Amino acid sequence: MPTFDQLLDEFFYRPDEADGPLFELAAGADPAGPEPADEAPAELIAFILDDECYAVPISEVREIVKVPPLTEVPRASPAILGVMNLRGEVLPVYDIKPRLRLSVGPVRVAGPGAARLPKGARVLVVRSDAGDAGVLVDAVRGVVKVKPSAVEVPPPGVAGGERDCVVGLFRRRDQLYILLDLAQALE
Amino acid sequence: MKPPGKGLSEFVAEANEVLDALGRNLLALDERRGQEADPDLVNGVFRSAHSLKGLAGMFGQDRIATLAHSAEDLLDRLRLGKAELSDPVLDALVEAVDVLQALLAEAARGGESPELAERVKDLSGRLAAVAAAPAPPTADPLDAIGLPPEVRAVFTEYEEHRLRENLRKGLGLWKVRAAFDLADFDQGLARLNAQLKPVGEVVSTLPSAEPGDGSGIAFDLIVGSRARREELETALAGTPGKLTPLSEAAPKAPLRSARVERVAPPDTDIARLPDPPAGRPNPEPDASLRSLTQTVRVDIQKLDALMNSVGELLLVKANLSALAEAARSGAPGQPTKSLGQELARESRSLERKLDELQKGILEVRMVPLGQVFDKLARLVRRIARERHKEIDFAIDGGEVELDKLIVEELSDPLMHLIRNAIDHGIEPAEDRVRAGKERRGVVALGAYQKGNHVVISVSDDGAGLDVDRVREVALEKGLLTAEQAALLSRRELMNLVFLPGFSTARAVSELSGRGVGLDVVKTNLASLSGIIDLESERGRGTTVTLTLPVTLAIIRALVVSVSGRTYAVPLNSVLEIISVASDEVRTVERREVVSLRGQTLPLTRLGRLFGLPEEPRARHFVVVVGLAQNRLGLTVDELLGQQDIVVKPLGGRLKHIPGISGATDLGNRRTVLVLDVGALMEEVVAPERRVEFS
Repeated sequence: MPTFDQLLDEFFYRPDEADGPLFELAAGADPAGPEPADEAPAELIAFILDDECYAVPISEVREIVKVPPLTEVPRASPAILGVMNLRGEVLPVYDIKPRLRLSVGPVRVAGPGAARLPKGARVLVVRSDAGDAGVLVDAVRGVVKVKPSAVEVPPPGVAGGERDCVVGLFRRRDQLYILLDLAQALE
Repeated sequence: MKPPGKGLSEFVAEANEVLDALGRNLLALDERRGQEADPDLVNGVFRSAHSLKGLAGMFGQDRIATLAHSAEDLLDRLRLGKAELSDPVLDALVEAVDVLQALLAEAARGGESPELAERVKDLSGRLAAVAAAPAPPTADPLDAIGLPPEVRAVFTEYEEHRLRENLRKGLGLWKVRAAFDLADFDQGLARLNAQLKPVGEVVSTLPSAEPGDGSGIAFDLIVGSRARREELETALAGTPGKLTPLSEAAPKAPLRSARVERVAPPDTDIARLPDPPAGRPNPEPDASLRSLTQTVRVDIQKLDALMNSVGELLLVKANLSALAEAARSGAPGQPTKSLGQELARESRSLERKLDELQKGILEVRMVPLGQVFDKLARLVRRIARERHKEIDFAIDGGEVELDKLIVEELSDPLMHLIRNAIDHGIEPAEDRVRAGKERRGVVALGAYQKGNHVVISVSDDGAGLDVDRVREVALEKGLLTAEQAALLSRRELMNLVFLPGFSTARAVSELSGRGVGLDVVKTNLASLSGIIDLESERGRGTTVTLTLPVTLAIIRALVVSVSGRTYAVPLNSVLEIISVASDEVRTVERREVVSLRGQTLPLTRLGRLFGLPEEPRARHFVVVVGLAQNRLGLTVDELLGQQDIVVKPLGGRLKHIPGISGATDLGNRRTVLVLDVGALMEEVVAPERRVEFS
């Protein structure tokens, strides 16, 4: 395990951000290992939640849709905003902000008296083993490419908790991206 | 291992069907154990085994082919009279069906387990062993009757065997000469065969050596029959058949007709055969009875009808396009009023055609319950043998049709109930005799349609449930308090057995007591919007009744609104709708009730149940829902109308929301949740029971 000092070093000092020899995406990989020369960059979808920029692998996202009318589901978990109808398929739509400790309590976007959503709000339709689901986001930023080696493990304290859904951080120009494990976030 | 592809799934579907037919015929043979085997049945089983072998060979399913081949060999010897249909033979064949089923299941999953391969080898050996057991030799009785040698020469081995068999039983052999016109001789012959079938067995049909009149063709039918000449003459009336005796029937030959126990511990004295090694658990004792395929076999005529409906819909669409075009161009001669009329007409026509299409599609999804019943019959035989119980299994209503999905989902709960009936219901034969009952227990499975529902009952004439004992156990396990128990009716007490964690069996049985109780059956049923009810009397038996909707696919629903939200209530559970003023509502122990035609109806506010904000209202609508003998009034704000809806599941992540069975689209892109009336009633009618568990 690298010491905390090393981690801080990695975090703050990086002459070449995109290509710096950093950790593998998976924690526990040998950080000192030589980097493959032509590493295939991963494609990620970047989106905004409460002014923070998050990213998930594009392969996990089925499609992105404007927020359709949602129907509240009584007695469901509070993280579920409601269900949407995507071309005949009924999908639950989640608010993952509370899970990420952003806003407190989910916004009401379904039923009478629903809050108005930001204009850029979208639903990411994501694939998952437990069943596909929608995730409400404030805005979609687009696709970013990143080499797996450029992703660093979130340093302790930045994203604590043992079952946390933040699996990595990376930077593009001045923007810090937070890599999410969606399956974990939807738990 | 190749991944299961289209070819494989076709194989599984077809092999499954062949195996079903095989199992059915074998069961019929089994039911008449000890009696003269019906040659048609033996032949049917033989043919099925043969096609299965061919099919498996074609798809490279060697293990299935091998086993089917062994079975076919044995069956061939059986139908030729070279082997006898003894109990060990039947047992081996029945087991072969089970193993083939298991093999097929493995093939569908695309795996091969060594245990099963071992079992195949084992069973093949047993089949060969029983096949080799020689039938008692007899003097050839065929020589005794003077058949012309040229006729004998053309008989196949099988036909000769059947002739001998008929003679041995002392039946008369007759020759029926019939001449037909060449143009329609096939129909004439089929008719003749059909008329002869009830009185005897047509052993062989030979083109006659002596032709009939110039334009026709003549046949000689060799018929074995117990009937006297006059009876045969009557049977032949209306056909061109002429009767000549070959040998006379013996006066009432003794038949081995003493009814041997049909389902009983196997006899052990006949040709002792290697039993499957004890100790090794049966590889699939709890194998699910669900069929391996999602295929539904459809009559092409039904598809044609669907195709027609689609064709007519296309016509309507063309008309609508023309009208739209006319409206857009704003043709001056076309007043909007007549356009509106035409649109209305087209829309009516569209509605009618869509109705037809919907009905057609629903029909295509329907399959007879018999598919599951047959499999259950095999299961009953096996369990009875394993448990050493003597049981008759009665089936009624196998022709009742249900949606394929429901039939599939139903097989496991039914299996469980039947297991329970055999295991805990039917007493050992000695106990039954002591209690003054018939020695053989009866387990009955019945089905009938009742309006939009199908009622299925599983009953036994066994020991029954003791209502006091049920209460005692429920109290012991803390499932309810003594005060609560005192309030329950006898029927409600009986239905406590469906609570999780309830089991009256003192010794956990190997078959039913796998830690899964009747509560699982109930849950399964609930997911099909069905309900379960149990009635039992000590010493007289138990009847479990399942009530299910005919189809889950499209249902008519009442659309209601509560606090601004819209919900759909399946109309098949709605009894009536009443309007109630707030001051008519009374409370009993803080629960709201209203009196309806002299009866007290419990009310529940849907909005409150779902935790929605409530607004005070002067009048409420009450949707009276009922399932079985229970009634409940659901208070809602408004009624929005009726609509046909397609219920879609809420998906993996929202599967278990209590009170919601799915969602539907009312056509305005807005998703509406569909209420699960059964679950709501459960929750409201017996809240104290729920609280214990939630």
